[in-house]
Amino acid sequence: MFRNNKVAWLFVLPALAFLVVFKIWPIGVSVIESLTTTSFTGVKSFVGFENYEYLFKYDPVFWKSFSVTLIYSIVVNPLIVLTSLLMALLLNSSHFFTKFFRTVFFLPAAISFAVVSVIWMVMLDPYNGLANSFLTMFGFKPQPFFASPNQALWGLVLLNVWRSSGYWMMYFLAGLQNIPETLYEAADIDGASTFRKTFRITLPLLTRTISFVLVANTAFNFLSFAPVYIITKGGPMGSTNLLMYESYKSAFVNLDMGRASAITTILLGIILLFSFLELRFTRARFEY
Amino acid sequence: MKKRSPWKTLVLFAILGIISLFFLIPLIWVIASALRPASPLYEYANPLTWRTFVPTNPTLENFVHIFVNLNFGRALMNSLLVSVSTILLTILVASMAGFALAKFEFRGKAVLFTIVLITFMVPFESIVIPLYILIKQLRIDNTYWALILPGVANGLAIFLFRQFFSEVPSEIMEAARIDGASWFRIYWKIAIPLSVPAIVTVIVMVFMFQWNSLFWPLVATHSSRFEVVQVAIAAHRSTENTSWANLFSSAIAGSLPPVILFLFLQKYFVRGISGTGLKG
Repeated sequence: MFRNNKVAWLFVLPALAFLVVFKIWPIGVSVIESLTTTSFTGVKSFVGFENYEYLFKYDPVFWKSFSVTLIYSIVVNPLIVLTSLLMALLLNSSHFFTKFFRTVFFLPAAISFAVVSVIWMVMLDPYNGLANSFLTMFGFKPQPFFASPNQALWGLVLLNVWRSSGYWMMYFLAGLQNIPETLYEAADIDGASTFRKTFRITLPLLTRTISFVLVANTAFNFLSFAPVYIITKGGPMGSTNLLMYESYKSAFVNLDMGRASAITTILLGIILLFSFLELRFTRARFEY
Repeated sequence: MKKRSPWKTLVLFAILGIISLFFLIPLIWVIASALRPASPLYEYANPLTWRTFVPTNPTLENFVHIFVNLNFGRALMNSLLVSVSTILLTILVASMAGFALAKFEFRGKAVLFTIVLITFMVPFESIVIPLYILIKQLRIDNTYWALILPGVANGLAIFLFRQFFSEVPSEIMEAARIDGASWFRIYWKIAIPLSVPAIVTVIVMVFMFQWNSLFWPLVATHSSRFEVVQVAIAAHRSTENTSWANLFSSAIAGSLPPVILFLFLQKYFVRGISGTGLKG
């Protein structure tokens, strides 16, 4: 370690400027803006917690959006942890084909959410989509998918599982490589089955990775925007109106920056809460 | 090596094969459809036959159309310009900060490091609306700057460089210092050339972020001059009657750069992941 305050600060100054202007300051703007309202004449005035009060007390659209976001999170996050963990366990051996499948599973993560949305919008198209072709081939009735208020959210869940499972799988594969081989060798000598080894060695030792992926993925999914914007526009009947999209509409369609900022601030609070959980779960890993 | 039973291997292969169908079928279908003439794009979607997945008279006319008539090339160039500028600025700014954080003891370091950690916990999407208010105040809305600058504020990149430089021995730098080299020279001639793996990781990370972003460009710009790839793709959808041919072909053309990058630099994708705190 060198000691030189002046030189060190010259090196960090550009980065600090960027972080303060484009990260810290917007967080402040979000909070301040959420405490104001803009009249029709464009005059901004301070209103305290009125925007929040209104959201929680008198705003059924917000509540609907809030509950949709919550349901979406509660379903999609554990599901992705499950699928990605399962894929990682299946790929945690070295065969000649392991690398190929790893690439295939991870491939959707290289594609943007906008394109993934386009792909699943047409896959689940009620008239021309392949999903219905498969259903009818196996003798099931074709489904409306994104056209139905009961199914649209599940379409988004499916889309997200397709796009994100391979990505989080890579975290689990990294975690699996940290488990010492000797533990499995010892278990082999004792004649343990694969099933037993998975539940007695692998999963317990993977707890921290599982919590990390769950928490990081949850924070990430609270911010889903592209699929809603491209496929459903929040509909049908508000069934896919996730908070991020609701705040976008509030800001750029209804031009109500106060309400939009209040929703953003609520989201930020949730994300930060999850980030602190994330830090707690992974604290030991930050020591090098 | 322990011996594996061939049956187990075969079962594993079969299971993995079935899962990969779930990932590959949508991709193959969309690619096959984009290679068909525009009018009967959906002709073979139902019932399923081999023709669903293999275009019988493959043609590139849909792709020619989006480039010649819809100026998709401009969107690609815009995305390229924004991505490359963000990458260059991020590498410079983040590596300097990472260098100081790894090699210097200075007043305020703990506070600074906390700021870095907090900022990489705040995902970009969560501050899009306040950022929009900010760039309007700075009068840079609807410019390339609006697309580039916010992407440079990247705590994770600083963190990656800091981790990397921590492992470079200080002795080389001490020796250079004794020889009379300036700190900037040490950073530029010793630290940077040694940090190629960190640089490539940051290139991959920033490129994927900028190339694939939709929300921010949608909010920050409104002239078609500044239209980036994802916005151009999404625009085919928001018109009253969606042209599937345009949508499919632009989606594929727009995905080629990140997919190619992914196939060649796979290990750096993984390195970016393990850099987030779960070091493998």
